[in-house]
Amino acid sequence: MQELLEQNNDALCHEIEQLQHLLSASEKDAPDELHAYITQIKKECDTLHQRVLRNLKYLELEQENLLKDILSETKLVTFDFFTLNGQKVSPILRACASDRLSLKFLQWLHATHPKAENIPAAICDGEFSIWLIQPTTVYCTPCTSQRGLRNLPIFFHEFGHLLYTLHKPEMDALVNELQKEIKNRMHSNVVRNDQYEQTKEIEQDTVVATWYEWAQECFCDAVGFVMCGPSFAYAFSMYLRILGRSQYHMSKEELMNSTHPVTWIRIQLLADRARRMDYNTVADDLEEKWHQVASALEVDEDFGGFYDDPFLPVIQEKLDDMLTETSPREFQETEVSNRRSESTITSPVALLNIAWQKFLDDPAGYRVWEEEAIISFLGNNI
Amino acid sequence: MMNSQWRAIQSFQENQNLISAINTLSIHIKLEMAGHSDFNKADTVSQAREKLCTFLAELDTQVQRVEVENVPLLGVDPRRRQFVNHLIDAKNSYRISSPFLLEKLSGGQHLLYSDTEKDKKEVLCLLDDLRMLLEEHLGSDVEQLFGGM
Repeated sequence: MQELLEQNNDALCHEIEQLQHLLSASEKDAPDELHAYITQIKKECDTLHQRVLRNLKYLELEQENLLKDILSETKLVTFDFFTLNGQKVSPILRACASDRLSLKFLQWLHATHPKAENIPAAICDGEFSIWLIQPTTVYCTPCTSQRGLRNLPIFFHEFGHLLYTLHKPEMDALVNELQKEIKNRMHSNVVRNDQYEQTKEIEQDTVVATWYEWAQECFCDAVGFVMCGPSFAYAFSMYLRILGRSQYHMSKEELMNSTHPVTWIRIQLLADRARRMDYNTVADDLEEKWHQVASALEVDEDFGGFYDDPFLPVIQEKLDDMLTETSPREFQETEVSNRRSESTITSPVALLNIAWQKFLDDPAGYRVWEEEAIISFLGNNI
Repeated sequence: MMNSQWRAIQSFQENQNLISAINTLSIHIKLEMAGHSDFNKADTVSQAREKLCTFLAELDTQVQRVEVENVPLLGVDPRRRQFVNHLIDAKNSYRISSPFLLEKLSGGQHLLYSDTEKDKKEVLCLLDDLRMLLEEHLGSDVEQLFGGM
């Protein structure tokens, strides 16, 4: 055991040093917006290096009862190195000039919140998702979305996951309250105390348990809307509405312990939030488009008891509490209504909203406009 | 937006941190008992102790709710719920030898700060059992994140 642990730690030491050299070599060509991230990753690399050297020092003591601990520690360092070597350094080694749009945008987004402002962000290629390996955050983004404005509002949803994590104990407590409220709304008035009742109870517990994860997704959607306004609703809706039946309906088996609510439920919650904030046109548009596709797919509105109308007020109430707890930057009216004069674009939120308005009003002229808008954004004119 | 891999990442990171804290404390105690000084700073050891203490306090409440009160764990991450059940299963199948994990989790928190030789042996036993359970639990996150090779 002593010998194999020495071998593994020596090999790890060598690979970490290789990675340190690669990072130093890549640093000079990386976009400025990535430097905070690079500094953090280099620090993590150094920490891993120290941990391996410490393992080797412990091994020098030849104290047999430490071997199990060193084995476990070597395993941990190996997995940490896997995430570093696989996911975390990739945004640095693959960095290119076109990353600047997303990176600059994320820099601004993180700076809007006191708890996120010192968390460096990076991007990698992939379906929209977030890698929250603190103290860094990697946003996975499809390749073309990195180069355009239309899908950037989806970052606000991912940012919601970061906010949830940064306030986890308080947020979990609010989700706990929501789960209890949902359970109360599911109780039938008839007490039968028989096999049917027991089965029903188990089903209800499953629904309630499922809402732990669903609540987080709905919270992230709410963050998207309150931070980014109509452009978030449009981007979210358009991205998901043609992805097939599963966005509109899932069987009970699929719903059980699913990590995301059926998207149609999320659209209904978003539309309700938009309406409550006096964005009736946005709310109507969401509902109308999703109904159109649902009827073309011949899907009826049936969420298998996992979501019913009586849930809506309590869900929105708890989402409001979660927004209060995390206090994301809310969009200003001027950022979503300054559609006529582009000289009034004062923030990335305003830019995204005007981009969506341009796209909806004049899809043919959008591409040319977008190219110029991106150049202007990167040139610090916004 | 549509995939849940980030949850596996968070669970993975939380477990990694806990196991690392266990290793730090376990090595520290063993070196102390053998009369060697540790290469870790005193701060690192004390942070590891605090982290484990907080974890045991949370676990104590959660295990009580499931075992004694027999109520579903609401407002708790699904992976943590699985770990609580994993711990209860391990207790029921006699895979655990630490009395503090078997019966008195709350006592385990005080134990971590004790200086007596007898208690240090108990701590090592507690850490060993806890590490075994956490490493088993980590397996599914590792599978999801790194796949099979």
